[in-house]
Amino acid sequence: MQNKFYKAPFLNGKFVALICILLFLLGIIGMIMRFIYGHLPAGYGSFIPWGLWVAIYFHGVGIAGGAFFIGVWLYLFDFPLFREVRFLRVLIVLGVAAILPSFMAVGLDLGHMERAYKIFFSPSFTSMMTFNAWMYTSFVILAGIAWYLSYKKESGWLKPVLILTSLISIAFPSQSGAFFGVVEAKPFWHSALLPVLFLTSALVSGSAVLLIIGNWFVSNHMEIESDYDKFEKTIRFILLGVMTLYFVFEWAEFSISIWNPEIENEAVKLILFGPYAWMFWGVHLIIGGIIPYIMLLSSSKKAYLWAALLVVISFISTRLNILLPGQSVGELKGLQEAFFHNRLTYIYHPTIMEYLVACMIVFAGIFIFYVGNKINSLTENYLGGNKR
Amino acid sequence: MSLSRRDIIRAGVLVGAAFATALTGVLKDRFAFKSRKKSVREFNGKVDEPSLKINEDSDIILQMQSELKYSLQKPLEERKWGMLIDLRKCVGCYACTVGCISENKLPPGVVYRPVLSEETGKFPNTRLKFTPRPCMQCERPTCTSVCPVKATYKRADGVVVIDYNQCIGCRYCLTACPYGARTSDFGEFYTNNIADNNNLLKGNQKYESGPFFEYHKEQKRKGHSSPIGNARKCHFCIHRVERGLLPVCVTTCIGRATIFGDLNNPNSTINKIISKNDVITLLPHKNTHPKVFYIL
Repeated sequence: MQNKFYKAPFLNGKFVALICILLFLLGIIGMIMRFIYGHLPAGYGSFIPWGLWVAIYFHGVGIAGGAFFIGVWLYLFDFPLFREVRFLRVLIVLGVAAILPSFMAVGLDLGHMERAYKIFFSPSFTSMMTFNAWMYTSFVILAGIAWYLSYKKESGWLKPVLILTSLISIAFPSQSGAFFGVVEAKPFWHSALLPVLFLTSALVSGSAVLLIIGNWFVSNHMEIESDYDKFEKTIRFILLGVMTLYFVFEWAEFSISIWNPEIENEAVKLILFGPYAWMFWGVHLIIGGIIPYIMLLSSSKKAYLWAALLVVISFISTRLNILLPGQSVGELKGLQEAFFHNRLTYIYHPTIMEYLVACMIVFAGIFIFYVGNKINSLTENYLGGNKR
Repeated sequence: MSLSRRDIIRAGVLVGAAFATALTGVLKDRFAFKSRKKSVREFNGKVDEPSLKINEDSDIILQMQSELKYSLQKPLEERKWGMLIDLRKCVGCYACTVGCISENKLPPGVVYRPVLSEETGKFPNTRLKFTPRPCMQCERPTCTSVCPVKATYKRADGVVVIDYNQCIGCRYCLTACPYGARTSDFGEFYTNNIADNNNLLKGNQKYESGPFFEYHKEQKRKGHSSPIGNARKCHFCIHRVERGLLPVCVTTCIGRATIFGDLNNPNSTINKIISKNDVITLLPHKNTHPKVFYIL
């Protein structure tokens, strides 16, 4: 049994530390640039107002929501590994570690970050942005309460709080889709399918992260290794299922554009044949779809983990492929040519500063996860484990 | 299954309470739109009576100016400013675009009134068509409801405004406007990064840093303070209009192609011209009901 367990090589402590140092060093340069020069070195403008950071933000909240929802319900139904209350705490830390850097990403994107508090003191709930911000904040607070309750023996409120938190966690990825879906000005976004696509992609990236986190958790707690096989099988099937669903929904979206004789969907054309077509065909379809699919259907435990890693990284392309083409098509023809400026175009390329800040955002996620789990270990040792 | 009946009841209570709270918040804001607190300054001072004798032979600018002053005697909620652009008269001189930039000290990348040009036909039978595009001041603006902090709203007279000190700079409103009428002030200056090794210019110039008087307030662009970092848009020059002056794009129009006035005044020049012509609005299928009309 002992030699069956395969620890993912990319979870090696030294390797992760090296990546973190690199991300931090690169990220700090980006942060300095951002705070000295503001938005001037950024590539987004007025016609494409949202770029890489917003895509990362939606990817982060997707991971938080998807992983938390799946993990909590498997906990509530006593699935192997998930039934460990220590793993529940890891799930909580994962949710927070994915969502806080997402706040950071969107905060850095704001023109007036120092006024972000206004969203809580003078909110307008007609805006999906307000609704999202309140839901994320509720999630973080409720996750904190669940974490606290998880240390209380026989707490009658842990499961009810977890159910509420899980519903919020599954609401916000779909709200992310509604965030774009309500924008009637962008025909590509204005689709009822968008919330479903966002929700499904959150479940895909969330379950892929769970597979990796489960491997890491078991490698640190070899006494529960016997649970790993069932855990792996469960998550692998969930991942395969939600991936299939995602591609079915995506196909549904594209098929309408391809076969509708009345509408020439320029956004879909851009995705399939535009300058960033490699993002769809290469990153999304091949690296994030076909290759992981084959790997997940194989019988190699190594392949499962690598497939999960590929999915987690490449599924940001689903956000980019919705975010950017939606903005790249203007409703008024000739607007781009009416007034020349590099921020008044429908072309967007992320700049060096945006990539460097993205490094810091990823670093922040890993760092919060590390610190959160250190706190978990310390409190568990201090309070005596509280195994299920 | 490890969920007890008690767990399910408690979860039901929590979920129900959370759902009711969320629904209350949404419904409260959705149906309280009209009573929204005004946060952008409005000018209610006295405007001089017209000093010239105006008749139907007077220049249309003078007629509109005179009507403007009469409309200003009415309370704000009884006025409804509108604009009509006669594309047959527009020669594509861009004076309105430049006048607007000068009036509002617009930085690079911010434009309130670009002029779209379109070439039709085949040589030698070609034609250039120009379409100035100010903010449409929609009756049903799609940009205001997406604002997460109520920084942008439609005033009682129909002008859509932005409270610069409330705006967080999320740019959601930019994506929500089908006309692309909002641009973000990213903090650029015309004199940044220019070859001035001897520092002859001594920093940013007055024409780009202000002061300017949008929303009846003395505004200056410097550092990271507003309006830098904010969404910006055409506001029908309400800081001029409420002091009895026409919007700068109207006064600079050499072809007298831009007509401005009170749509609530049945005898206003704008209403007279609208009644005699077939007018259109841009992107009517968007159902935003613009208050900027065009004669083709």
